[in-house]
Amino acid sequence: MATSAPISRRRASADDPRVILEEQVGVFEPVPPFPPRTEREAEFYTLGDGEMFLNMGPQHPSTHGVLRVVVKINGEVVTDLDPVLGYLHRGVEKLCENSDYHQAICYLDPLEYVSALFCEWPAVMAFEKLMDVTVPRRAEYIRVLSGELLRIASHALFMGWMALDLGGLTPILWSFIERDEIVEMLGALTGARMLFNYYRIGGVNGDLNHEFMSRLGDWMTRATEQHDANVRLLNENEIFVRRMRDLGRVDRETALRMCMTGPNLRATGVPFDVRRSHPYSVYPELDFDIPTRDEGDCLARYLLRLDEVKQSLRIIDQCLNQMPDGPVMAKLPRLLRPRPGRAYAAVESPRGQYANYAISDGTDQPFRLRIHDPSFIHLQSVGLLMPGHLIADTMAVMASLDPIMGGVDK
Amino acid sequence: MTVVGRAWNRLSLPGKLFFTLAPLLLVTTIAVIAILVIFGQLIVDFLAANLPIVRFVVAVTAVLLMSVPTAFLIIYMEMKVIALMNLRLGPDRVGPYGSLLSVVHGLKVLMKEDFTPTGVDSIVFTLAPVVVYLASVMSLLVIPFAPGLFGQDLNVGLLYFFAVGGLSVVGLLMAGWSSFNKYSLLGGLRSAAQIISYEIPLTLSVVGVLILAGTMSLNQIVLDQRGSFLDWFAFKQPLGLLIFFIAATAEANRTPFDLTEADSEIVAGFATEYSGMRFGFFFFAEYVNVFIMSALIVSLFFGGWTAPFDWPWPVHIELNPGGLGIGLLILLAVAPVVGTLVLAAPFWVARSSMPAWQALIIGFVLLNLLIGLGLFALAFLGWEWVVGLFWFLGKTYGFVFTFVWMRGTLPRVRIDQLMGFAWKWLLPASLLNLFVTAGAVVVLGR
Amino acid sequence: MSQLVPGLGLARGMLLTLRRFFEPKATIRYPEEPPEGSPKFRGRLQLLYDEYGTLKCETCFQCAQACPIECIDMGGIDTKNRYHIHWGPPETYGERRDESALRRSGRPVPDPAYEHFGPIDLAPVEAALAEYDYDPKNLLPILEATQQAYGYLPVAAIKHISNMSGAWYAMIYGTASYYGHLRFEKKGDREQAAAVAASRPPESSYRSALQAALMGGAPVEDTTQPPAANKARGSSKVRGSSKVRGSSKVRGSSKGRGRPPRAN
Repeated sequence: MATSAPISRRRASADDPRVILEEQVGVFEPVPPFPPRTEREAEFYTLGDGEMFLNMGPQHPSTHGVLRVVVKINGEVVTDLDPVLGYLHRGVEKLCENSDYHQAICYLDPLEYVSALFCEWPAVMAFEKLMDVTVPRRAEYIRVLSGELLRIASHALFMGWMALDLGGLTPILWSFIERDEIVEMLGALTGARMLFNYYRIGGVNGDLNHEFMSRLGDWMTRATEQHDANVRLLNENEIFVRRMRDLGRVDRETALRMCMTGPNLRATGVPFDVRRSHPYSVYPELDFDIPTRDEGDCLARYLLRLDEVKQSLRIIDQCLNQMPDGPVMAKLPRLLRPRPGRAYAAVESPRGQYANYAISDGTDQPFRLRIHDPSFIHLQSVGLLMPGHLIADTMAVMASLDPIMGGVDK
Repeated sequence: MTVVGRAWNRLSLPGKLFFTLAPLLLVTTIAVIAILVIFGQLIVDFLAANLPIVRFVVAVTAVLLMSVPTAFLIIYMEMKVIALMNLRLGPDRVGPYGSLLSVVHGLKVLMKEDFTPTGVDSIVFTLAPVVVYLASVMSLLVIPFAPGLFGQDLNVGLLYFFAVGGLSVVGLLMAGWSSFNKYSLLGGLRSAAQIISYEIPLTLSVVGVLILAGTMSLNQIVLDQRGSFLDWFAFKQPLGLLIFFIAATAEANRTPFDLTEADSEIVAGFATEYSGMRFGFFFFAEYVNVFIMSALIVSLFFGGWTAPFDWPWPVHIELNPGGLGIGLLILLAVAPVVGTLVLAAPFWVARSSMPAWQALIIGFVLLNLLIGLGLFALAFLGWEWVVGLFWFLGKTYGFVFTFVWMRGTLPRVRIDQLMGFAWKWLLPASLLNLFVTAGAVVVLGR
Repeated sequence: MSQLVPGLGLARGMLLTLRRFFEPKATIRYPEEPPEGSPKFRGRLQLLYDEYGTLKCETCFQCAQACPIECIDMGGIDTKNRYHIHWGPPETYGERRDESALRRSGRPVPDPAYEHFGPIDLAPVEAALAEYDYDPKNLLPILEATQQAYGYLPVAAIKHISNMSGAWYAMIYGTASYYGHLRFEKKGDREQAAAVAASRPPESSYRSALQAALMGGAPVEDTTQPPAANKARGSSKVRGSSKVRGSSKVRGSSKGRGRPPRAN
């Protein structure tokens, strides 16, 4: 157990001012006040020689959201760390059980709040499976189009954050400019800029409109150029590259063992992408590559996301070319009461495999809606990646995994 | 008495203040004049006998007074330049183009609660910002701003500079240690490690210049670089300049070496627990440091206050206003009116919608600008120190801009890379620079 | 290339930021230049008006009922132009959330707005609720029993039913207002309400005022009181919208794209 000299202060008692109390004040150790519950906890909260705890978060300037990481350091070197979750817990799964199928979708939006459409998508797909609804093809294309746009926005933000956590001030603002264009565009399409609530069971809420298409066309003409200009600042920067290379390296087996998905897994060389391996929506009709890299370090994860942006641009281009005419909503009754059953659906979100598992008991409310969030899965691997690196790199490694705390704490 | 009392009660607050202060002022003025008349010669003799002390006191006061506006200016520059590089607008509300925002920041910092957390070593905690700030400000004493415009012309000026500048690490360490916060502790220790490591290449890289100039007085070093810009030491010591620039960046805790207050790692480093004006001292000290480092680079390598090419100045202008006689009075009376009218006329003619008074205001402002410019030009032509200050501040703020520019572009290096860079690259390079310079001096003979 | 020459990448990055230094900026100077929202933007709640300048809202309370976090709170003059039905307790959002949580948990909710609607003897309501097992599915029998006891449905009784059965006030009100035989006022009050309704200008006055505004022609009839009456009529409120536009300001078609009216 950590010990430190107690700091005491003398003050007069509130009951009897003649009595002087000596009270211990202001020693903030991350040691929990209870006896350790697990072996791991006992091991972690025992300090070795020259070691010290450092509490990073939940109000640290650069944790992504309200994550608290208790770091055990020896000098500047991190020897062990313990992420503490739950500061953003809202009980979304339980809320969904108490609302009907349409209302449940709007609860799912704020989970991955930087790419909210990808939270609606698997839920909508699972509910459609429960109800045997066929989604019109135009609606599917619109879903893919908006989803890929949001993937670019999310990756743009990732690059800015990555640089900000390494101390660069500028790229985050350039990324936000890039993201803002996309988000405004989606605002014209969906009616909201961040929490869209756009995908509906059986289609989407509203067809493509003129303002969205004009903004999209305007943006597509300069998207690649602008993106390349933005990333050139970091990609060629020796300081950035030297810091990112060989940082937080994870090999293929470990990545698979830790259930990593998405860019973090692909950066280790496994070409697993839900869009190709378990195709959904109209992705089989589209032509795109799955970029992979073999290094598995932070730089690989960073560069892989840049490659993905290019592929997303390709997909958007094809979507616009192949967009069929037709309705965007299936014919559905007003009150949705699926037959009892269960359904599972997964999509490839910018962070990895985002999946929902829904159980219906025949009423108009889901009996259970389980949310599988990739950020949560990736966060469990920081304990593997961090030890041996420096304090300065905790945030860099964390940023390269790109967790969104809204989804982690649910 | 009652009459006076009633009259007094009728007065408003400004009136009361006036009738209280005016007699006091009158009495004080008379007393001062009397003292000056009686003991004037004595005082002048005494001051003349102790001229170095007087000079020192005046210089310290001037430097202390100068440091705060300098910090304001650089803070504003940093906010605005980084904003423009970020494709933002930056401050644009307070004052023209937001230029008063940093002043408002200063006032805000003054008004904030000066908070001392539980568990700090309060004496050290209180002293730390003072040490840091004074160390920065005292370094300004030896910098030659212009010919004849410097605090002290020490013959060990550079040594004094490094010695006093090195004191700031003590302040940072004090702040980090006393704050009772692990982030502060880490920040303080980082600053100690970093600044001590970079002191060595910083000092060694200058030795080449010292060998060439043959003196440690900054004034003499600047005078050595007189002539065209080809005489600057930057061209004789390019490697030394590079090393000095990098080491100075680290010494001033600027990006990419701002590890002591890396906000994404250790919240604000040594300043985490500080608030109010104590934090303000740290904040100002950082920007004064930037100014000092830029000034030092300019003085050592870029000719200080000397112009980049041979100016035929100072020009001695034979102006004798007394020669005009009564004409001078008439000129002073007539010229402003005529000038205002003449300058206002084109605006009034060109824009029919403009009322006459607006045109007159424009004319008046323009006239004032013109007179100001004329006076500056006269001073520039006539007084050497105005030219010197112009060139010195121009070059210095060029380097301040470079520091800010780097902050807007570069990410932060890691602590091990930082130390490795200092010991594995900068130190050997500065030693190499030293040996090559010494060898060249021995072989070529100055 | 930048691999070979150390510092070249840094220098190129510096040049890039220097170039951006002179490029046009992306900032929107907000209060001076409000950002142009898209027509589909649904960032704020708002009551819309039809082409006659009357509220489109029929005060059916379905929105209040469907709102998952109960942020919609309604009141106004009902569609038959009879009486004012503002029940929302004048409390803050936080308290409303609190009340909502309490109600969902099934416990009785302390309600400061009770007095406002006149306390009544709640024994008959209790009896009716007990008879039907406090079940909101038996809402209609409960309401009928209540009406039988009081002769009408007092607001306090409805609130009590809402508190005890867990059904939303909006739902009970919606149910009660749907059935013709349920009423919210005493028998004598209906005449009074009818008199109030008669004192309001007829709908044709809105039309004539509108016509006057649009066509520039003289109003056909009833020129004495339309503006004030319009104001009184358009006093429905949705919590969350800063200000509801009075119906005296009719949105012309001169703006072109047929956007919904928007404050500011």
